[in-house]
Amino acid sequence: MDSITALLEGFATAAQPAYLLYALLGVTLGTAVGVLPGIGPAMTVALLLPLTYSLDPTAALIIFAGIYYGGMYGGSTTSILLNTPGESASIVTALEGNKMARAGRGAAALATAAIGSFVAGTIATVLLTLLAPTIADIAVALGPADYVALMVVAFTTVAALLGSSPVRGLASLGLGLFIGLIGTDTLSGQQRFTLGVSTLADGIDVVVVAVGVFAVGEALYVASRLRHGPIEVIPVGGKWMTRSFWARSWKPWLRGTLIGFPIGTVPAGGADVSTFLSYAAEKRLSKRPDEFGHGAIEGVAGPEAANNAAAAGVLVPLLTLGLPTSATAAVIVAAFQSYGIQPGPLLFTNNSAMVWALIASLYIGNVMLLVLNLPLVKMWVKVLQIPRPYLYAGILLFAALGTYAVNFVVDDLIVLLVIGVAGFFMRRHGYPVAPLVVGLILGPMAEEQIRRTLQISEGSLGALVTSPFAAVAYSVLVVLLAVAIVVRLRRKKVESLV
Amino acid sequence: MIAEKVEEYAFGGLVAAIGVFTLVDATTIAARADNAVGPRAFPYAVGALLLATGVAAIVATARGKLGQAEEGEDVDAGVRTDWVTVGKLVAVLVAHLVLMGLVGWPVAAAVLFFGAAWTLGAVWWRALPVAVVLALVVQVVFAWGLGLSLPAGIFEGVPFLDG
Repeated sequence: MDSITALLEGFATAAQPAYLLYALLGVTLGTAVGVLPGIGPAMTVALLLPLTYSLDPTAALIIFAGIYYGGMYGGSTTSILLNTPGESASIVTALEGNKMARAGRGAAALATAAIGSFVAGTIATVLLTLLAPTIADIAVALGPADYVALMVVAFTTVAALLGSSPVRGLASLGLGLFIGLIGTDTLSGQQRFTLGVSTLADGIDVVVVAVGVFAVGEALYVASRLRHGPIEVIPVGGKWMTRSFWARSWKPWLRGTLIGFPIGTVPAGGADVSTFLSYAAEKRLSKRPDEFGHGAIEGVAGPEAANNAAAAGVLVPLLTLGLPTSATAAVIVAAFQSYGIQPGPLLFTNNSAMVWALIASLYIGNVMLLVLNLPLVKMWVKVLQIPRPYLYAGILLFAALGTYAVNFVVDDLIVLLVIGVAGFFMRRHGYPVAPLVVGLILGPMAEEQIRRTLQISEGSLGALVTSPFAAVAYSVLVVLLAVAIVVRLRRKKVESLV
Repeated sequence: MIAEKVEEYAFGGLVAAIGVFTLVDATTIAARADNAVGPRAFPYAVGALLLATGVAAIVATARGKLGQAEEGEDVDAGVRTDWVTVGKLVAVLVAHLVLMGLVGWPVAAAVLFFGAAWTLGAVWWRALPVAVVLALVVQVVFAWGLGLSLPAGIFEGVPFLDG
């Protein structure tokens, strides 16, 4: 019951006009970057980090949470209305949603995506509210070896389970860990890998790396193969919500939520996997399986709900353990750290007011997003039509600005360019960029915990696995890897069916 | 196809090379010789990971398992890589960071936006005013709204532009 009281207090804070405005700003920005190709929530949060230093942490985190949720909503509009495949988490939506839009049922597709996102987002936020304090209570007792185990799980799932090539995912993780090493070692004060360059002595800022791989890398990559000609947006047609719309949508929404939330929480591969699983489930359960591939509404409703539920699920390990399991979550951890707050079990005791205001703002943000993405969807169609030369020029300008604004030194722009070019080649050769960002942020934390563990055990490596919790975590990891192999095979099957 | 394979070998090689560098350079990190795990251990592990994955990527490439290039809404998978455009954009970014110290942020930013938009196919007489207005607006917002002053350069001392 404590948490209900705390949540109500959170609502009281989040409902203050200023915080409502910040939430609105966040969800609007989030939807915009979700709609626009080439920018995602991770990059947007990274870019805004330097600009929000003057805000209080609660306000900044409310904006970031809004961007995070908003990005999930906006992406579906693009996949339904734009004639090309979108971000990985929404590709499944594009399968059926795009077909529906072409068949003149775009309105129903947009509605089931938006309402499904709202239903799933709200239910998942309720689950987050109920689960997070309990998990935080348990997590307080975890020792350094347990954290090491959790981080190994996060590293492995993010790097090896996502993307098409585990080797390249692990290489990307390694690059992130390496960048995290550059600078002055916190425990011994030794400089590492700085090559004697003074700019590198303080380490490379997370913002510079995130903006480099996401913004500059993406802009260069898109520019290398830019789709020329007019942007073909499918006109929104058909009825918005009919009786059969509700009858066919509500079950997939709930099923999608049930599939998405645990997958987001675990972490077993993020939103991507959950949408594929939901799609497969809907197809199997459908009374009209022949409609799949030709615009079945269940194939939009389920995966969209799963996508949003997984996004909310990611917040559970993020807030209770300080463990990011996606690139955006990793940047949000960096945001917490920039305010001197370490997300983790103590967050609910030390920063209780802030974290509950944040959770309350998630409920409020979901309502705002429903309004933004249903009655106001026409506005985003306009945004979708921004001429690409201006869009990518703008991305580069704000990438350079955001990077410069971190420390106001030109040297950071050189680092940005180098990392951007690296991000460009990574995209060309199938190296996912998310593990790099997760490695960069979790790497230094993992090293500290490993060294603390081994200090206590006086160098005995056994201490890393003998704690019961760590042993369980490593066992779960083995199970996850096995499940992943099955899912990978099944997903290939799903892909071959469509 | 052959060019892509060469590039893929090169990137795998680069990852492995960074791994070797990490392993070698880690030996030079000063550490006390006692039982506690010092600042070298974790770098060794990272170096080993990079070396192993770099070599594995090279092996995968040799066995014909090329990395899948990323897809995207604005990416035309069917066209050849336009290296000239990529080169121009990198040049524009370099120009931006060089110009910033010489003539200040507003000019450097206008050059960056205009150069990038023009490179990507915008009509120059439309892109130019957009670039100038955008750069000046951001400069004013930073100087007056956020209280963070970007280097004004040639506009030093000008009201509104110099924070």
